[in-house]
Amino acid sequence: MRAVDSRTRFRLADLPMAKDRTPGWRTVAGAGEVFQASDGTWVLSSAEAVRFAHRHPDIFSSAAAFSGAGIPIPLIPVAVDPPDHLKYRRVLDPMFAPRVINSIEDDLRAQIRDLVAGFATRGECDAVGELAKLYPTQVFLTLFGLPLADRDQLIEWVETINENSSTGTAEPKPVVVEAAMAMFGYIQRCIDEKRRNLGDDTLSRLLALEGDDAWSDDELLGFAWLITLAGLDTVTGAIGFTMLYLARDADLRRQLVADPALVGPAIEEVLRIEPPAITTPRVTMQDVDVCGVRIPAGSPVMLCLATANRDAERFEHPEDVDIHQADRGHVTFGGGIHRCLGSHLARREIRLVVEEFHKQIPEYEVAAGFEPEVVWPSATLHLASLPLVFPVSGAVS
Amino acid sequence: MRVVIDDERCTGNGRCYAVAPELFTDDDRGYGQVIGDGSIDDHRLDLARRAALACPDQAVTVEDR
Repeated sequence: MRAVDSRTRFRLADLPMAKDRTPGWRTVAGAGEVFQASDGTWVLSSAEAVRFAHRHPDIFSSAAAFSGAGIPIPLIPVAVDPPDHLKYRRVLDPMFAPRVINSIEDDLRAQIRDLVAGFATRGECDAVGELAKLYPTQVFLTLFGLPLADRDQLIEWVETINENSSTGTAEPKPVVVEAAMAMFGYIQRCIDEKRRNLGDDTLSRLLALEGDDAWSDDELLGFAWLITLAGLDTVTGAIGFTMLYLARDADLRRQLVADPALVGPAIEEVLRIEPPAITTPRVTMQDVDVCGVRIPAGSPVMLCLATANRDAERFEHPEDVDIHQADRGHVTFGGGIHRCLGSHLARREIRLVVEEFHKQIPEYEVAAGFEPEVVWPSATLHLASLPLVFPVSGAVS
Repeated sequence: MRVVIDDERCTGNGRCYAVAPELFTDDDRGYGQVIGDGSIDDHRLDLARRAALACPDQAVTVEDR
């Protein structure tokens, strides 16, 4: 029997994360590259340990980690292990490739231009509530060929489910069940309507698959479920953090306005420092040694992407945004076979937000006295709100 | 010297062609492809090494031959 004392007295939810994540991530990294937390979960905190798990999906099962999630449908593709996983990604990767995003970029750019124009003459905005929360859902609806009018309802369901779901095994709250049932119904109706009237969009292309490649309704539902619950609030988080760092760093912001080629590196650095998906779960399928520590078969494991991204071995300034180290690699979108399917889309969304925001509002800062906070504890991180103030162009001063 | 992408390791992160579009391009799955035979001269060595470092899956390597 393992001595409980050997475990590190550590619970992620106890860390002070709301205002500044740096002390919390130092605590995690300081507990060791590989350690067992109070609840029995093994934590991989270094870049080497996380990358090892990414390279061995057969040992670190994603399917086993998601099987107890209480969802009666397969969460495709994250809850699928090799070899079936490849079958899904072969179909999905081309649908989320940069070339596909290029084909709808003009539309996506026009949408963010309109959102920014909605507050550009007002001199202030909430960059989370009026932008970061709205845009990812609009992009999802656009990609899936669904009406933008569904945006606010979809956001409400997703927020209700994400904000009231504990990561434990407790029974879901009634509000979650209600929102989940409503969203299931909505997705099923979208599938039914789209099947009768195929268009030039991702959902139509999935519905058009034939023979052995054809997806069942359960597979379609599971995929749509995963995208809406994991692919919207994470991008909300990333957009919010990007705007926060740019609002606080006038020098960096002005460099980006002067040289748009620096937007990409700046985005990478904020993604590295503030990954919205801070951890990803796995379960070991066999005994395995990671960085000299033996993890037994059947153990729940947490890959801590946030600390892997701040590994002092890899970065000269691990805790600061520094565009000169933007090419040194991070794991904000994971790695290995489960690399975030929407990573190309997320990066494009953030870039379009920065470019179009700066065209209309090149100078801005966080409202005086406001201290931005993330919702915590939470499975993914996003700012609750981000009030910005800025001069109104053309205004008489 | 030349750059190589290990197809076994590449999972389509797309960092190589973002960091070094002179050396890599994207395919229709969003995966990186080496442009031409991947040969690099000295003044592109630094760029190639940055692309290798940027890959979260360490799929990009610079071969010394």
